[in-house]
Amino acid sequence: MAEYTLDCLYEACPIPLLKALKQLNKMNIGDILIMHTDHNCSIIHVVEWTKKEGHYIDYIEIAEGEWEIYIEKAK
Amino acid sequence: MSSSRIEELKRQRQAKVTKRGSQSPYAIVVTVVVSTIYLVLIKHNIYLSTFWIIGILIGITLQRSRFCFAASFRDPIMVGNSSLFKTIILSFIISTIAFFMIQYRTAVINPDYLLTDIPGQLKPVGLHTALGAILFGGGMVVAGGCASGTLVRIGEGYIMQVVVLVGFIIGTVMGAMHFPFWDSILISKAPTIYIPKYLGFFPALIFQLILLGILYLVAHWYDKKNNIMTMQEE
Repeated sequence: MAEYTLDCLYEACPIPLLKALKQLNKMNIGDILIMHTDHNCSIIHVVEWTKKEGHYIDYIEIAEGEWEIYIEKAK
Repeated sequence: MSSSRIEELKRQRQAKVTKRGSQSPYAIVVTVVVSTIYLVLIKHNIYLSTFWIIGILIGITLQRSRFCFAASFRDPIMVGNSSLFKTIILSFIISTIAFFMIQYRTAVINPDYLLTDIPGQLKPVGLHTALGAILFGGGMVVAGGCASGTLVRIGEGYIMQVVVLVGFIIGTVMGAMHFPFWDSILISKAPTIYIPKYLGFFPALIFQLILLGILYLVAHWYDKKNNIMTMQEE
């Protein structure tokens, strides 16, 4: 049940999603990935994609235009 | 969809977040400035005032909806997600019907209309269309946004997109400089194809709507069928 963090600040679309994808493939079921991003496309993009994949996901805004996305690998 | 551990992480993180100030004063200032410019433009130039309001409305729509032309054509290929692509097809369906109404008027008033009389951008189609599409498509995926997406993100404060804008301007200027060359070898020789001229207005409308409908269904099926995880499991 490890926790990973992923720094996606200042990355252009679609790099945050690709980074998350790569990291998720390396993780075990039950591990949590914390993404830090300032790209508001990620909020829609990553969230929609992760839900489609069936993982648990939620996010909060931690500063003006900065978000943390939490993904728990479910399968 | 959330899990209890995510909820716990969120709660811990939320406690550390300092409360942010309200942005309403900015909103009021910007609204006043926008309205003032609109009123000044109405006095001087009614066309500019209309463009101003249409531009602002398009900008708000693009920003709030996160409508991204780059992603709509990139995502089906990259992550097998065609929801934005379907949005593009839907907007084509709407604009097809709207343009039909606008263009049909011209044809009713003057049955012997010339292609240049038709409102809209009727341009020759040919090899140059494909070349331009490849250049623009490759560029927009690398740059992380098409023209509208780049402008929206500059407005949101992404410095990187300013670099993209500089490149965009350089590219546009070079394109304009080289236009006579492309015009002489490709564009002037290519035909302008306007389907209503061959089929008539109503059959052309039905034909285009059926075609877009099929594309929509294909995109929908593709979205259901494809995603990265299933592709890797196979």
